[in-house]
Amino acid sequence: MPLWLREHRWHQTPAAVFLSLPLRGARATPDSIFCSERYLKVSIPPFLFEAILYAPIDDTNSTAKIGNGNIFFTLYKKEPGLWDSLTLENADKEKLQYLRENAVLKAQQKAKEETEAKKATKEEHKKYALEATMKLEEAERKRIEDLKEKERQKVTEELELWKNQQNDADKYKNIQKEGELHQEIGQLKERKSEKMTKTRIPNEGTSKTRPKPTKGHGSCSIFSPNVKEEQLPAPRSAATIKVNFTPRVFPTALRESRVAEEEEWLHKQAEARRTISADLSELEDLKEDEKNPDWLKDKGNKMFAMGNYLAAVNAYNLAVRLNNKLPLLYLNRAACHLKLRNLHKAIEDSSKALELLTPPVPDNEEARVKAYVRRGTAFCQLELYTEGLQDYEAALKIDPKNKNIEKDAEKIRHLIQGTMQGS
Amino acid sequence: MSAAPGLERPQVVSHAQQALNYTVFDCKWVPRSARLLCLGSAARGTGLVQLYELRGARLELLREIEKPKPIKCGTFGATSLQQRYLATGDFDGNLNIWNLEAPEIPVYSVKGHKEIINSIDGVGGLGIGEGAPEIVTGSRDGTVKVWDPRQKDTPVANMEPVQGESKRDCWTVAFGNAYNQEERVVCAGYDNGDIKLFDLKTMSLRWETNIKNGVCSVEFDRKDINMNKLVATSLEGKFHVFDMRTQHPTKGFASVSEKAQKSTIWQVRHLPQNRDIFMTSGGSGSLHLWKYEYPAQRSKKDSEGAEMGVAGSVNLLQNVTLSTQPISSLDWSPDKKGLCVCGAFDQTVRVLIVTKLNKI
Repeated sequence: MPLWLREHRWHQTPAAVFLSLPLRGARATPDSIFCSERYLKVSIPPFLFEAILYAPIDDTNSTAKIGNGNIFFTLYKKEPGLWDSLTLENADKEKLQYLRENAVLKAQQKAKEETEAKKATKEEHKKYALEATMKLEEAERKRIEDLKEKERQKVTEELELWKNQQNDADKYKNIQKEGELHQEIGQLKERKSEKMTKTRIPNEGTSKTRPKPTKGHGSCSIFSPNVKEEQLPAPRSAATIKVNFTPRVFPTALRESRVAEEEEWLHKQAEARRTISADLSELEDLKEDEKNPDWLKDKGNKMFAMGNYLAAVNAYNLAVRLNNKLPLLYLNRAACHLKLRNLHKAIEDSSKALELLTPPVPDNEEARVKAYVRRGTAFCQLELYTEGLQDYEAALKIDPKNKNIEKDAEKIRHLIQGTMQGS
Repeated sequence: MSAAPGLERPQVVSHAQQALNYTVFDCKWVPRSARLLCLGSAARGTGLVQLYELRGARLELLREIEKPKPIKCGTFGATSLQQRYLATGDFDGNLNIWNLEAPEIPVYSVKGHKEIINSIDGVGGLGIGEGAPEIVTGSRDGTVKVWDPRQKDTPVANMEPVQGESKRDCWTVAFGNAYNQEERVVCAGYDNGDIKLFDLKTMSLRWETNIKNGVCSVEFDRKDINMNKLVATSLEGKFHVFDMRTQHPTKGFASVSEKAQKSTIWQVRHLPQNRDIFMTSGGSGSLHLWKYEYPAQRSKKDSEGAEMGVAGSVNLLQNVTLSTQPISSLDWSPDKKGLCVCGAFDQTVRVLIVTKLNKI
């Protein structure tokens, strides 16, 4: 049971009620006071004071002062007048309860409204601040733009001025030259009086047309070019300087970022040429030439050209046994197998060639294109058209300008579409 | 590398631009005028020379000349100011000199090379420098040839690969050191990263080096002085500035190099009015404006007492991106400081003005 505080004193004016409540040692904080239009409560556990006010008050403007063991309320009445008493004396319990609840509800509502109002003002302020900053930035931007524009205009004006100066200078030169022209014509006429007819016609011709500086000078300064050429030295006596270039294997330009890749490729090639996978017992009775993979490759090429595909294959086989790192051997052997319709072997050899032709540099482009094309052909002849098309497209990617590959790729595409439609 | 603060830096202002319907390979100002030339290749495989005049903020086409072979490069360097003949190199290896007033027949013509002439330069004309007017061409056939317009059919100097050696493409050539009537050098850059300096007075190779990337463009800061600086640009976004005043017997010339961007640097051009400022144009469509700062001492003695050069430093003054395609050609106007024209592979030629160059 709370302890009721009943020792309050109050007095009033028509507009306000002043209530003083001694606290008997209890410590009051602003939270302990609850006030609404008709209900006033002070709760400092275990103390409690409540009052159902006689008439409504304006609770927003009313104040409470806490101090000196007292709370001093200044309650402004909603309707001026004198109250008979501070509280409603003869109110029954239910009414009291109702009023209390009402009061609480009202207070809550008011609180809510207040927070909302606060939020609204906060948003207003934010918007305002944002607009202000935007304006400032806009102004700054405009200022810079204006500066630039001014700069541009100034420069354009200067340019126009300069151009006009040029034009004036040119006109002046023109006039001068015409003057000189007439002078020279006069001199010529004097000098070549015998050949009057010959000289007069071209001179009159030039003086009639509007001589531009170039023409004027060119046709009439008969004696000036000689003078000029004397001032210039004679043409140099021809000579050749022989030039040596920093060696570069690849035909493309040197780029620092590609150097590593290119080095790798060259290294691989060098390695390949040096390795000789030896199977010495069989190779003892071979001639010197036949131990050289390059010579064997040439032999193989010749056989291929003559149409003797089996012999070519033999040559390549031997070369591969001696050195299985040369991609060109596999490449050429693949071509032979194609001709011999050993399609699976052709595919194998082309694949091996492609493996050896990494890293892809512009140097081995041609070889790679050939490998893809041969493998593609083999696939197609085996009726594995999709794989074949893949290889043709890879070849096209390396060499997009090759019409033959394009044509063949088209044909394969049609074939694939044909079979798909058929089945 | 510190950049000058904010708006005090030179600004690159776009003044005019013109969309073209052909690929432009080279653009040049016509000396002593507000006119410029665009050289290139039309879609049907013929060469085009277009003459534009800068009027207000627009380029007005004055003249269009069509030639049978696409034109790769051109220069006014070897003609007098009165004549202003244009020397061009085309895709077929022909060197022609044209009088633009009467362009039907060339004033001089020779099939100088077996393959495309990649680069051309002229010296001795335009009232700059002394000595005979000469034109140098560098071609894909690996040779660099120097021509005198007064001598028909044969070059006055020929720098060719040794017999039997495989050739490298020559991508760029430049004249320099033409400070009196006898002295002259030609610098050539090749696709394997070689830079070679040929002395035409002694007809010998004076210096060579390799910068590890194909050389796209070389230029001396001035053709008509004792050679001072040489800028060489290359693939992979690098360029080197060589101090050419001091040649060490083994180490050659001192250099400083910068990596400006990831893409190829196609051209370098020095400002005619200030030899320490140059602009590089890149494969990503950007232009960078640089200033070279000299070191406190330009040369010092090495351990054996031989003189060797000391390279300075390069500062980026400004950069701007104009296009998505490479800017393949660039030319400063010799008459108006800061006015330049650039041609890009997006078939546009742009006239730009670089401001505040007086304050550098």
